[in-house]
Amino acid sequence: MTKSLHPGAWWAWALLLATAATRTTNPLLLGLLLGVAAFVVAGRRTQGRAFGFFLRLGLLVLAMRLLFEALFSSPLPGHVLVRLPSVPLPSALAGLRIGGAVTAESLVSASYGGLQLATLLICLGAANSLASPRRLLRSLPGALYELGVAVTVAMSFAPQLVLAGSRVRRARRLRGKSTSGLRGWVASALPVLQDGLESSIELAAAMDSRGFGRRGVVSAARRRATSSALLIGLLAVAAAMYGLLATGSPAVIGLPLLLGGSGIAVAAVLLGGHGVVRTKYRPDSWGAAEWLVIASGLAATLGVVGAGRVAPGSLHTSAYPIVAPALPWPAVAGIALALVPALLSTKPRPQARQVETGELIGAAR
Amino acid sequence: MSLAIASLVGIFAFAWPFLLRRPSSSGVAHSTDAPWIFLVVLPLLLIVVLAEISEGGIDAKAIALLGVLAACGAALRMLGGDVTGASPVFFLLMPAGRVLGRGFGFTLGTLTLFGSALLTGGVGPWLPFQMLAAGWTGLFAGCLPRATGRLEVLLLAAYGAVAGLVYGAITDLWFWPFSTTGLSPQISYVPGQSWLTNLHHFWAFYLTTSLGFDIPRAAANAALVLVAGRPVLSALRRAARKAAFDVVPEFAESR
Repeated sequence: MTKSLHPGAWWAWALLLATAATRTTNPLLLGLLLGVAAFVVAGRRTQGRAFGFFLRLGLLVLAMRLLFEALFSSPLPGHVLVRLPSVPLPSALAGLRIGGAVTAESLVSASYGGLQLATLLICLGAANSLASPRRLLRSLPGALYELGVAVTVAMSFAPQLVLAGSRVRRARRLRGKSTSGLRGWVASALPVLQDGLESSIELAAAMDSRGFGRRGVVSAARRRATSSALLIGLLAVAAAMYGLLATGSPAVIGLPLLLGGSGIAVAAVLLGGHGVVRTKYRPDSWGAAEWLVIASGLAATLGVVGAGRVAPGSLHTSAYPIVAPALPWPAVAGIALALVPALLSTKPRPQARQVETGELIGAAR
Repeated sequence: MSLAIASLVGIFAFAWPFLLRRPSSSGVAHSTDAPWIFLVVLPLLLIVVLAEISEGGIDAKAIALLGVLAACGAALRMLGGDVTGASPVFFLLMPAGRVLGRGFGFTLGTLTLFGSALLTGGVGPWLPFQMLAAGWTGLFAGCLPRATGRLEVLLLAAYGAVAGLVYGAITDLWFWPFSTTGLSPQISYVPGQSWLTNLHHFWAFYLTTSLGFDIPRAAANAALVLVAGRPVLSALRRAARKAAFDVVPEFAESR
């Protein structure tokens, strides 16, 4: 079996891992989650650079968190590590304090919080590097079809713009005009923009003549129904937000209204997609392997939530006093199950060639 | 209409730290859940709004123009880099919203950030918030009063400066409750406090952390619009006239 998994399955898996990370500040569990994400990415990624970027971002978040804690916070009492010189600030900053004593307890507490955010980011980085965004774009619901095409146009057009930019700059240099400074930069960017606008009109003509963006016949009643369902869903979500936030409104209406409104809106989006008549080139299938990937992600989330039930307090490690973090077994078992996608016998396949819009741009030129 | 409702929900999504105040026990529960609820709701909201905008069907010219302008924006974003905060993305958004209308400006703002995130592999929890904020930048550029010539460029430049600051402030707002829980109470979100207290805390946080990034952005927006605003506006007007969109093009103000 050589097929690559549906990108939606990878995103769901990563989001479930991230959800697990939001439920705990236990550094051991967070470390396990990080290990699982890194292991799966190492075995199955399709595009490499994204994960490294998110890894660095996670480290940056952790470092910023520690720095903030050391500079701005009023520390937890405990073992003083170092005393920074403190700076008096004007009263407009409401008694904010910079510097002062830094305790081991407050640094540990900050590192737990920072590690949680970093884990969250790195789980998303795993999704970015496991699932090809272009393929995810192809499985957008039909109601967003046109905008999906616009994004595809943008993504195949951006590299051409860079080429056009260097062409214009070379031409300016040959004419003996400067290409540096704000004015030179603007003067070489404008022809690129004008060129892009020209070719967008040519592209539109090419798309029109090939029936791109054509819609099927949808009855007026159905269109009205879809449109009003979208509006009702939006209104319900707005009302639910108000119910959740405002003082004094009955608390019970908030969440059901939110779920109901979102449900209506999602249904309307799916319904609206029937107006689009098109076929897919190499459609991504959704089979048993995809369900297995989602189930393994769900195991991690349920394991962490279950650990909170079985051993209350094991998910949040105390920083005052500093104690060794617990290792609750349901969470460990659940997170270990999330490794399953790495063991699936499927191999990543090179990305399917983008025929549609890329060739049209070529045809228009 | 749908834009207005969605913007309302979006304002809730950004401003909940100031609005949320329920002294009962359920309020405490929600104040820890609220950020996660919005992280889930906001992508859904964007999908619904964009579906509603494209409900009547977008013609091929609008798709092509959206795609090309979003590509220009994404390329500008990569060129500028977000290191100093001075990112030239908005420079294209504002004239486009002004010339091609509010709905187009909103859609272009969201698609530009989405496309550039896909190109650089930077899809993260910040993306929906950035998309919404950039969409607003384009949307309100379409709502500016009528002006022509020099005045129009000045108007757009002033708008650019304000939009740069506001964009920075509201994109800070979404992670402010996350990044500061457990920090000194003077700059962090304190659940259950009055909105005025929290606003004061946020102001201190904003001053100490991100104003240094936002002032270069605002200045760069204004400077770029002043230098290149007029040719960009006229190039966009020319394209709109050639493509003959649904709006009747105005020939009177060509300069």
